[in-house]
Amino acid sequence: MTSKLADIDLFTPIMYEQTGVPHEAFTTLRKESPVYWHQNAGIRPDDGVPHRGFWAVTKYDDIVRISKDPGTFSSARGGTNAEDYHEEDLSQIQILMVNMDPPDHVKFRRLVSMGFTPRMVSKIEPKVREAARNIVDAIIEKGSCDFVRDIAAELPLIVIADLLGVPQEDRQKLFDWSNRLIGFDDPEFQTSIVDAREAAQEIWMYANQLAEDKKGKGGDDFVSVLIAAEIDGEQLDEMQFDAFFLLLAVAGNETTRNLISGAMRALLENPEQWAKLKADPSLVTSATEEFLRWVTPVNYFRRTATKDTEIRGQKIKENDKIVMFYASANRDEDVYKDGQKFDIARTPNDHLAFGIGQHFCLGNGFARLEIRIMFEEIIKRLPDIQMTAKPRQLRSNFINGIKEMPVKFTPGKKLG
Amino acid sequence: MKKIVVDYDLCEANAFCTKHAPELFRVEDNDTLTVLNDQPGDALIGKAEKAVKYCPRGAIKLVEG
Repeated sequence: MTSKLADIDLFTPIMYEQTGVPHEAFTTLRKESPVYWHQNAGIRPDDGVPHRGFWAVTKYDDIVRISKDPGTFSSARGGTNAEDYHEEDLSQIQILMVNMDPPDHVKFRRLVSMGFTPRMVSKIEPKVREAARNIVDAIIEKGSCDFVRDIAAELPLIVIADLLGVPQEDRQKLFDWSNRLIGFDDPEFQTSIVDAREAAQEIWMYANQLAEDKKGKGGDDFVSVLIAAEIDGEQLDEMQFDAFFLLLAVAGNETTRNLISGAMRALLENPEQWAKLKADPSLVTSATEEFLRWVTPVNYFRRTATKDTEIRGQKIKENDKIVMFYASANRDEDVYKDGQKFDIARTPNDHLAFGIGQHFCLGNGFARLEIRIMFEEIIKRLPDIQMTAKPRQLRSNFINGIKEMPVKFTPGKKLG
Repeated sequence: MKKIVVDYDLCEANAFCTKHAPELFRVEDNDTLTVLNDQPGDALIGKAEKAVKYCPRGAIKLVEG
């Protein structure tokens, strides 16, 4: 089934809540209008900024090309969300690495990337395994729980909290802040942009205090390493550190949580795939990539043209907004045979769920580790898990998220 | 003759290049990249092009050399 071109709406957040990611619309666009002028939904009621239309890019190859050309397609000019911002909000988001261009971006990223290498990732594997075991221990005697809150949300929070040195008792704060920052369109999590600004302020104060506590103590934890990192005589200053803390608290939290929830849902909705995975748990590595492709927790990122250019023959004007829909690229018929089929053994699987190019998700190694370990634990200890109600989708065009997913399972024994 | 050029400011040891072209690239245990042979030649140019395409950071280029 396909959509009529004129009826296509990729923007209205409540549509995502009601009917999920608009894959039928993406299919139509890839076929009929791969670089499509999309009228925006209009003014967000509480900020009075008129929102312009944008070019919706839905083909894999175009997204790769745009992503690898930051000179023409800027992340800083206008930021990387589809919305337009007040000047003051724009300058605030431009200190986040995701909204920077070279050369600032390259410098900043070099300083923090030392914490994200394959070696750093493998260092925390034992801790992640222990955390996954504890997460299941916490619910296994109950026979039922909310998969999102009690299973999916926990592991990414634990990893970030651990990396940032945020103590156990402050983890709930991270959870609350993150929801208030990223859930802008869902009234359950946030009432307004004002609330988002306040949440950002609170995170900044917390990060500041944390950096103060660690400064000059020569620790080898992630935060101390970040504060001490130096390249060509340059170090992260306080504001840059705070901005990075903010980015991490949001980027590493929501996304992985939503991937784990979305993947569990996909497995339960495709029982032959779930059975296949349980019968051969070594498939969890290829399954992880298929989870990423299928769920694509970050639906899009936006760029702004720095000059007149073209995409696939379509003329683009300087300052035009370009929105890259990764969820569409990950089903592109020119790349994937049977892309609309959920196949945990799919190979090759060079999806764009982590993006590509200079902004390629820095946390991809941590995410892949968390996903693999969480599902190894679920396969082992919750093999008969089932949904007991329809999952509730996040009201957002940016994040493919599940807010609540009640499940039941045969109660078992704690291991820890 | 095409030559492999790596921008080490962009390399983050993701090792996709090693996966696609193990004869040409090796990521060491200390997360540094070694280019085993920067002149792929006709036999390995296909694999070199894959490494260029799939490096998630766009750190690899093939230049006329």
